[in-house]
Amino acid sequence: MISLTVNGKQKNLDTDKDMPLLWVLRDVLGLKGTKFGCGQGLCGSCTVHLDGKAVRSCQTPLASVEGRTVTTIEGLSTDGSHPCQVAWRGEKVPQCGYCQPGQIMNAAAFLAETPSPSEPQIEKAMAGNLCRCGTYGRIKKAIRVASGSVK
Amino acid sequence: MNLTTQKISRKKFLEGSAAITAAGLFLACLPEELLAAFTDPETLSQFNPNVYIGISSDNVIRLVIHRSEMGNGARTSMAMLLAEELEAPWEKIKIIQAVGDAKYNDQNTDGSTSVRKNWDSLRRAGAAARMMLEAAAAARWGVNEKTVFARNGEVHHRGSSKKLSYGALAIAASKLKTPKKLSLKSPQDYTIIGTPRDLVDVNAMVTGSARYGIDVEEPGMLHASLERSPRVDAEIVSFNGPEVERIPGVVAVVSLPAQSQDVNTSAAVAVVADSTWTAMKARKILKVRWSGGRSSESTDAKKTELQALVQKKGKISRNDGDIGAAMPEKRINAEYFTPYLVHAPMEPPNAFANVTEGKCHVIAPTQQPQRLRKAAAKFLGINKKHVTIEVSLLGGGFGRKSQPDFAMEAVALSQRIKKPVKITWTREDEVRHGTYHTQCMQRLDAGLNKKGNIETWRHRTAFPTLLTIFAPGAVSPAEFELAQGINTLPYRIPNIRTESYPVKSDVRIGWLRSVLHIPHSFAINCFLDEIAVSTKRDPVQMRLDLLGKPRILELSEAEKTGPYKQDTGRLARVIKRAAKAASWGKSLPKGKGLGFASHYSFFSYVAMAIEVAVNDENEVTVDRVHCAVDCGTVVNPDTVTAQIEGAVSFGLSLALFGEITLKDGVVQQSNFDDYVIARMKDAPEIIVDLVDNGDIPTGVGEPGTPPVAPALYNAIYAATGTRLRSLPLASTDFGGQW
Ligand code: FES
Ligand code: FES
Repeated sequence: MISLTVNGKQKNLDTDKDMPLLWVLRDVLGLKGTKFGCGQGLCGSCTVHLDGKAVRSCQTPLASVEGRTVTTIEGLSTDGSHPCQVAWRGEKVPQCGYCQPGQIMNAAAFLAETPSPSEPQIEKAMAGNLCRCGTYGRIKKAIRVASGSVK
Repeated sequence: MNLTTQKISRKKFLEGSAAITAAGLFLACLPEELLAAFTDPETLSQFNPNVYIGISSDNVIRLVIHRSEMGNGARTSMAMLLAEELEAPWEKIKIIQAVGDAKYNDQNTDGSTSVRKNWDSLRRAGAAARMMLEAAAAARWGVNEKTVFARNGEVHHRGSSKKLSYGALAIAASKLKTPKKLSLKSPQDYTIIGTPRDLVDVNAMVTGSARYGIDVEEPGMLHASLERSPRVDAEIVSFNGPEVERIPGVVAVVSLPAQSQDVNTSAAVAVVADSTWTAMKARKILKVRWSGGRSSESTDAKKTELQALVQKKGKISRNDGDIGAAMPEKRINAEYFTPYLVHAPMEPPNAFANVTEGKCHVIAPTQQPQRLRKAAAKFLGINKKHVTIEVSLLGGGFGRKSQPDFAMEAVALSQRIKKPVKITWTREDEVRHGTYHTQCMQRLDAGLNKKGNIETWRHRTAFPTLLTIFAPGAVSPAEFELAQGINTLPYRIPNIRTESYPVKSDVRIGWLRSVLHIPHSFAINCFLDEIAVSTKRDPVQMRLDLLGKPRILELSEAEKTGPYKQDTGRLARVIKRAAKAASWGKSLPKGKGLGFASHYSFFSYVAMAIEVAVNDENEVTVDRVHCAVDCGTVVNPDTVTAQIEGAVSFGLSLALFGEITLKDGVVQQSNFDDYVIARMKDAPEIIVDLVDNGDIPTGVGEPGTPPVAPALYNAIYAATGTRLRSLPLASTDFGGQW
């Protein structure tokens, strides 16, 4: 039995300890907002917060999150009002939208640590999040808009 | 000869295109097949004037979108066309995704067609509904129909303050006949078309509630991961099924035979389990013995073969003037190579299927639900009315999800195990079992006269054709593949010849965003640059000189899919606008360069100027991309701009990194570490200039891609003097860190 907190709720799971957090969230807990893109830590689609830090959930076995706190895109805000979500809408970032939960979770954790980032800092922090639709310019802009308002 | 010049005025052309007239209201009628009632899966609307619209008494306006949403903005732009003529309140509409059904007309979401092919029919559908609501109100009030008008979800009476909501009129309107003659709004009265609109799904996308195919969860559903034959035609000899079945959570391990053209699945062993992860993990201990298969293609050998081909005379396709009789003063030639590419949409292929007694239910991120419906009905031997194809959101498609293979695997597997099942491809599966963008070798030869003008132009192109996915043994390119870029060359050159070759290949070739325009635009734009340099001309001015006075060029039969013609004046205009925006001709510091390309594709005109910086280690940074785009009437400027930005990123990915190689018939790449796509650091500033001159809408999703690679290479030449002729940059010996 593994216990962890997901989006503020305590979960006790009797699941394969090797199962990556990504699949626990998606298949066991029904939280489909966290996406599968590569399964190898190469694309960032599966990014969630683990104790407030951005991690690739496809590379995070369930066993390693015992007692810890996980936040997914569904738990980032209850109503889409997180500054990143607001900025993402405002800058009209999404195209297909598939990579965006991962982008937003990565950006939210980054801005919490680096409230007023420089351009190179943004590029470095976001380097692991791929977007095949090519929304990078708008993501950059949305991060600049949201910067300063992320707690 | 494929191109003929017609001296018709621009005004006449517009009239002939039957889309917009200056006289305001445009009369049209609604095609018979669209009059079938739309049945809302949730609530039956009282007023269903056609398959695209449902209005219920409680004032809910349902708009049915029959094309797939894959980042193309189709669900928004198409709703805008309906809502405009319907006079529907934008904030109150409800979007319903159509299932695959021929009653919606063409649902094939590729070829940059969602807006352009539905521009008329959706506006007409909206107008028909609006006129019926107006007629119902006039009858209710006992007034002349001419005295009522619809606005924002209500019908008003001009002479009084009387008004009625659409909901209040729904039942009465449902009893009326569709008007024979429809009056469409005049473009200057548009309140929705041409205005920026947020994607209807944007909120769901940023909160994680948007549902893609991979997110499907149905009662009793199992999960599967498939081990497919490494060569397209290898067969299963044996596999360790019982061993894999012992893993807790594994339900079954079964083999599936290959399905031939045009479904194109490979023989596979499916590991079926109670979760995606269990299926994927169990697959790691699965061992399959394959019979070799005959495919043995290796990239280096194939390249040599294609290169040998373009030295010889090929099959002539376009033949203007007499290339043999011309006696040019100077000759110049060059060869260009572009490799196989894979689509790599962020959402890998996946599909849910439930085959029960005589029925089949599929939910998939498909670009072509009708093709899939037909394939499933044929495979199961049932009538297609018993096959339901639901279309989820697509996490990118780029042509990959036009193919029925991944969903047909799910259909076959569900039939086999008699359970509802979802198949999820890994990224490795997607990269190794693609329907690849073809590789292409080209040789261009030009003859120049004393003044340096181009007298002769010979374009040879050799590539495996995408017809192979439709028919076994196809070797000769289709006319439409040659129409993509080379036979539509718009320049005034007296002697033009294009040649192509039969090429045998075991690789499955498919569509990828802008298809053969990628290699052809690359070769043509790079070669023009080489000619400009060798004749000491400015490449932009040379293009404009070659275009000369505006002409309307007829398209070849293969490319004629609507009221479209190539207008060289429109091409010249985007060339001038992009050059001006980029301050073409400005002097740049050492190590910087500006490169130019322009291309006509999917009936749209795009010109691009790319500014690069190259440092002493030959590392290339793309600083800025100026794009000028003429795609006719712009329906949603937000989406058009975003699509061009996206196409630039897609073009940079393939120019800098994209390359699929084969060794002995097996694809060598596997994931984003060896099939690299652009990252944020590679993303330049992109400035998009939209020319909206009221012409009928043309393609948007694809036309931004073809000019990217040649503009980049021409910029690298301008910055360094090094001429590169093969893609991607990372595989050349130019150096630099990729
Ligand atoms: S799915 Fe985890 S990084 Fe790609
Ligand atoms: S928006 Fe489609 S992958 Fe990023």
